[in-house]
Amino acid sequence: MPDSPPILIELRSVCHEYAAGSPENELVLSDVNLTVAERDVVVLLGPSGCGKSTLVRIMAGLIKPTRGEVEYRGIPLHGVSPGVAMVFQNFALFPWLTVRQNVLLPVGRLPAEEQQSRLTKVLATVGLGAYEQAYPRELSGGMKQRVGIARALIAEPEVLCMDEPFSALDVLTAETLRNEIGRLLASPEHPLRTMVMVTHNIVEAVYFATRIVVMATQPGRVDVVVPVDLPYPRDPDVPGFRAIVEKLHAILTRTNLPDAGEVTKVVTTEAGGTRRRIAPVSLPYVTPGEVLGLLSLLGDAEYDVFEIAERLGKEFGAIIRVVKASELLGFIETPGQEVRLTTLGRELVAASTENQRSIIRERLMQLKIFELLVRLIRVQPEHCLPDEELLRELRTALPHEKPRPLFRTLLSWGRYAGLISHDQRRHVIKLHHHEDPPPPA
Amino acid sequence: MSMTATLSRPERERPAIWFEAVVVLGVAALLLGGVEVVSQWRQPLRQTVEIDLSVRALPGYALLSLARGWIAYFFSLLFTLVVASWAFYDTRARRYILPALDVLQSIPVLGFLPGLVLALVALFPHSNTGLELSCVIMIFTGQVWNMAFSYYDSLCGVPADYRMLGRLYGFKWWHRFLKIELPFGAQGLLYNSMVSMAGGWFFLSITEAFKLGDQDFRVPGIGSYMSVAIERGDVRAQLLGVVAMGIVIVVVDRLVWWPLVVWSRKFKMDDFGSGRINQPGWQRWLARSRAMQAATRRIGLWLAPLSAVPGPPPASPLPAATTATASSGRTARGIYYLLLAALLGALAWGGVQLTSLLTRVSVADWIEILRNTGLSFLRVLAAVALGTLWTVPLGVWIGLNPKLSSRLQPFIQFVASFPAPMIYPWILLLVLRTGGSLQWGSVPLIMMGTQWYILFNVAAAASAVPNDIVSCAEVLRLSGWRRWRKFLLPAVFPGLVTGWITAAGGAWNATIVSEYVQIGDKLYQATGLGAYISRATNDGNFPRLAAAVLVMALVVVGINRSLWKRLQVFANERCRFLT
Repeated sequence: MPDSPPILIELRSVCHEYAAGSPENELVLSDVNLTVAERDVVVLLGPSGCGKSTLVRIMAGLIKPTRGEVEYRGIPLHGVSPGVAMVFQNFALFPWLTVRQNVLLPVGRLPAEEQQSRLTKVLATVGLGAYEQAYPRELSGGMKQRVGIARALIAEPEVLCMDEPFSALDVLTAETLRNEIGRLLASPEHPLRTMVMVTHNIVEAVYFATRIVVMATQPGRVDVVVPVDLPYPRDPDVPGFRAIVEKLHAILTRTNLPDAGEVTKVVTTEAGGTRRRIAPVSLPYVTPGEVLGLLSLLGDAEYDVFEIAERLGKEFGAIIRVVKASELLGFIETPGQEVRLTTLGRELVAASTENQRSIIRERLMQLKIFELLVRLIRVQPEHCLPDEELLRELRTALPHEKPRPLFRTLLSWGRYAGLISHDQRRHVIKLHHHEDPPPPA
Repeated sequence: MSMTATLSRPERERPAIWFEAVVVLGVAALLLGGVEVVSQWRQPLRQTVEIDLSVRALPGYALLSLARGWIAYFFSLLFTLVVASWAFYDTRARRYILPALDVLQSIPVLGFLPGLVLALVALFPHSNTGLELSCVIMIFTGQVWNMAFSYYDSLCGVPADYRMLGRLYGFKWWHRFLKIELPFGAQGLLYNSMVSMAGGWFFLSITEAFKLGDQDFRVPGIGSYMSVAIERGDVRAQLLGVVAMGIVIVVVDRLVWWPLVVWSRKFKMDDFGSGRINQPGWQRWLARSRAMQAATRRIGLWLAPLSAVPGPPPASPLPAATTATASSGRTARGIYYLLLAALLGALAWGGVQLTSLLTRVSVADWIEILRNTGLSFLRVLAAVALGTLWTVPLGVWIGLNPKLSSRLQPFIQFVASFPAPMIYPWILLLVLRTGGSLQWGSVPLIMMGTQWYILFNVAAAASAVPNDIVSCAEVLRLSGWRRWRKFLLPAVFPGLVTGWITAAGGAWNATIVSEYVQIGDKLYQATGLGAYISRATNDGNFPRLAAAVLVMALVVVGINRSLWKRLQVFANERCRFLT
């Protein structure tokens, strides 16, 4: 039996909160256990807000987690990890240094000849030979990221961390750079073997990873780990590759898009003695415009969630939120990964603007969270609910939600439907009084 | 985005060197030439105001000073709106207005005080009106420039779409001003107004208690209260004066500026902005840091890298917006030329007077002035260098620690607003106690008023360093001197240069009060241009005064041009973060 490769990074029960201790605190990561062994290419995949960037910074020792242990080669990590280099989404180049000076930063303490030989090699690897004396602002985005990668490689790190390295680049440039990193992984003589990469792009994840760590949101946590056992360089068109992509689609749909019945289930809790409080299911943070846009896009057709994401060029996490909201309101149904309009959805698309608003108003009132909102307004003196009061209620009723985005979401839906109005000067919410709308056509 | 909405514009290119010289000489001609005329028939006409050092009198004095500040502010606002709009709409005038404002703001105004006071007292020989006016004008010169630049910047920043809209709806000029231009400029104008009030206070203890030769041109106010308390060595009254000044600053901040800041948020154009951390506090600091300064207030240019929003494109020429009907155009042009002629006439007259003053300065005097300039230059340099040594590390430290900066902010903000010359005697006594003399001792006095501006600008620049760059420097394990050389110093360099310019310009102005300090009946003097100016003022020796003030103004403008502006361009080209 061959020796298993040594473990480089190990996280045990890592939790992280922002603004720990204050009422605004927010659990970003919950109970993450993860190891990165030598020759692992671990890709953290998940929708935005799942804490994947925080996680990679914890691995690099840039952020100290609120709770839990981080070890590098079995030694507890204090401060920046000794064997790690990092590539940043927005390059993080020093604008006052030339390409050469930027790349040489991590090896400033080595003898000059050693620096020069490494520099020549690494610049050749990333194809920057002719740009040695240029300043970063003279370079295109792709070239900038090559400098970022060269700077990470020159230190010959044991682990290369990359935080969404291609997402600030245009599609074609990103593709080129991806291929080049793929070639590095494929060439047996290149020392770079261990990587941790953050992405929200599924194909990118399968292209690089030996293990894909699928993360879920609210709070950010590890959902499933999917091993990928394909040889480098990988071809996205082979059936094995596609099978894994399909599998990831299924996982992401399951974690992010539970069946309708499950979503609308009402949880009743006992809180504060006799007072019964309903923990209302929250509304995903999307606007009415986005939902209506999705509905008119669907028409009579039936789409795959990921197909929609691809067509719109958006991150799947964002699409999933819109899909969830639409489903919650009963405008679409989602058998598996498919998305199609319900009868009500069709009605809504065909209705006049005024009728659309009244349909949405009716549907919103079915949601416990809007019931709560209206009730809260009614119990206020003069029926004026201060913003702060609502935020406080949201915090207690939905501890896992982010109160401010939820607040904005409620406001935008409530105002769109003509349920409430918001006084921005006095920071209060009132019920909107309107004439009875004409009956829906 | 507030006051930061701008970027380098081509029309802000450097003016010709002769133009800067002409502006300096013009100001000198107008103000110092006036001295010559007036001094010939001056006579004691009015009674000296008695200052009551009791506590009961203090609130009244504070109110009087406050009133002067607000009157000056009203004129600053008026000047700002008129001149900035003029510069914006009249492309030909713009070429001269902007550089002229730039030079005007870097002239050490304190030197021109005597000319101003004499001229105005002569105009109103039987009342205090002239004195009050000169006091208000001095405060005005400490307030107006940054406001004008800020408003001009926001005029350039009004998106073309909004101007188009105004034209489509046939807005009249005042409609356009109220509905479009003012809302866009509101935030920037407000931040700069806060700065300006602080800037206006700075020389309060001098302008309110001005002495020329044997004449006492005092007006009742908190500044003169303080100076009388110092003269009489009344420590209790000095303490009371400082406390009262502190209360005035805090009260104005809380009761006027803070509500206005909250109100002005509705004019923010990037409403539900990006996820970038918004630090209004820092902007206020930064605004404060531009208080008092007499060097440069090209605020927009240097704040642009700190703002999340890339600057708007320069305004395109707006033919339709500027064309008026033919007849009104002719009238306007007539008035324009009339004013121009009047200005040229006054300049010529002042020039003749100034020349006649300067011809009375002997060669020996010129040599002494130059020697003194050299010494003051060394003091200014020392003050800036020493200030840099401790403020840069501290500024970087607080800038990179948001928690720390929010805790220290109210304190430092207060320090920035407090008129340092009021407590010069205290510092000087400390220096003398430790065995120093004013020759060296004036350096800490100069620093007292100016080093803060380095601190604020560095702290603000450090707080604007992108998070990823900070993380990157950590991952690269930059440490020790390498960390400073490769990362921290270049990262804060644009802020540092702005701080230097502010501090150095302010330092020249401060030499006038810190090389020549009177405590009780004891007079402490250092050899330097500032002391020379103060002495000439006290002796009523106008030829010397004119020569020295002119030299100081030329030196400051010259250094600005040859050193600071170049450094600024370099810092801006090289050390700005990529967007």
